[in-house]
Amino acid sequence: MDLKQFEADNSGSFRLASRIPDVCRTEDCCLGVDEAGRGPVLGPMVYGICFCPVSKREELKDLKVADSKTLNEAERENLFQKLDEAQNYVGWALQILSPNMISTSMLQRTKYNLNALSHDTAIGLIQYALDSGVYVDTVGPAEKYEEKLSQRFPGIQVTVRPKADSLFPVVSAASICAKVARDRVVKGWNFAEDLGEIDADYGSGYPNDPKTKEWLLKYLDPVFGYPQFVRFSWSTAQTLMDSKAVDDDEEDGEKAAQRQNNRSMLSYFSASAEGDRAQQTHRFFSERRLKSLKSL
Amino acid sequence: MRIIPPQTSRGQYPLPESKHRAKICFSEEKKTAGGNHRKRSNVYILCYIWKTEGRMSCKASVTCLQLSSLKRAEKAPVHLMPCEIEHNGLAQVSQYFTATAKENKKGTKTDRPVFATDKTVSFRGRGLKGQEISCPDGYTGLVLKEVDRHGSDQEDRTVKVTSVFDKLTYWNLETPPTSDDTVVMAMDWPELAEAIHGTVED
Repeated sequence: MDLKQFEADNSGSFRLASRIPDVCRTEDCCLGVDEAGRGPVLGPMVYGICFCPVSKREELKDLKVADSKTLNEAERENLFQKLDEAQNYVGWALQILSPNMISTSMLQRTKYNLNALSHDTAIGLIQYALDSGVYVDTVGPAEKYEEKLSQRFPGIQVTVRPKADSLFPVVSAASICAKVARDRVVKGWNFAEDLGEIDADYGSGYPNDPKTKEWLLKYLDPVFGYPQFVRFSWSTAQTLMDSKAVDDDEEDGEKAAQRQNNRSMLSYFSASAEGDRAQQTHRFFSERRLKSLKSL
Repeated sequence: MRIIPPQTSRGQYPLPESKHRAKICFSEEKKTAGGNHRKRSNVYILCYIWKTEGRMSCKASVTCLQLSSLKRAEKAPVHLMPCEIEHNGLAQVSQYFTATAKENKKGTKTDRPVFATDKTVSFRGRGLKGQEISCPDGYTGLVLKEVDRHGSDQEDRTVKVTSVFDKLTYWNLETPPTSDDTVVMAMDWPELAEAIHGTVED
């Protein structure tokens, strides 16, 4: 799993894949999709797929790829090694979504929420692989997702089931790939910000972890907020900023809208010009937002 | 961004000023020996050389510019943000902002007046797209700081120059920079003003 390219620029979205085993191109395959790091306020979210021929499902099961949530980091690394070694019949692919990408997508003007982002990422990976018979873990209501995927991939049998990673080995395998990738990325996170030695003791990265909250407070800058390791769209991050950082109002924010709408009721009643109303400025100036300066 | 053109003997003509008065321009600050600390100061950007003795006046008050500070001032990188930040003082611009900004070359095929390269950065999780533009020919940008009035009631004010700039980077919220952007178009004014108000050769 060569993450060097992502380490060099960890501000966007990055795809990484194994070589596609030859048998996967000739035999019917089953493909599992799972994700890692959806909940934390720190670090990337990783989507992983894992696929192998249907005929090799038992072999995959023998690798003992159990539900990755019950394994520790070392055990997961070990299992990923095994998957990697089984490269003649197991293939995998990952999509790493950086915290910066999550923040900017969720906060942009035409909001791109996390569910939509997740679905599109999963679909992108599936499209990438050649597949038939897809087992998918669920985000959002299972039936809707299954319907969406069935429409997107006609001719493929799609199953969306909660806790699929504990039911189907190929999904467990995908889960392992995703989690291992996330753990490695978080461990080797290269802070693009120029802040000297950064304390790596941020706990689990989950918003309810007191150690994580402590870390967030430690690295909270009143103007810039946090390093790009943090997901700004998370309410934990925003709440802390609301209380500790200076206010900022974007062009599309509420205050800007209020300023434009604020007019005294009386302005609707008076027919004559008030006091010293400024001359009507030419459109040339107003469209360039230039106007007469009377004082600093 | 407030822009003040030179006064001529013909009298004053419309002085441009940005409608979004508090749109903050901040320039890079070097880390001071004692670490960053906030000072109370007002920072404004003027985009014109103060050609006369350094006074601007209107009906009620006079603002003086300490020209001596202009000699000492150094060039600084300046950024025009698409948001209002309620803060006046030092900020860790090079650590958080400049360090994470990325340059990207665009493809050549576009039907919109986009620039050949632009910059990308995030501010508080919002994606920004930026472009460097130059001050109009013959003009210099000034970063001013008000000299403390010591609580005096008089309306006259004094400013000094803390740094100068001949180009700045402006940032749009998400939308790629184009030559239709307001600030780019605003830079048309000096040339037009010269055409309208400049001396005419017989």
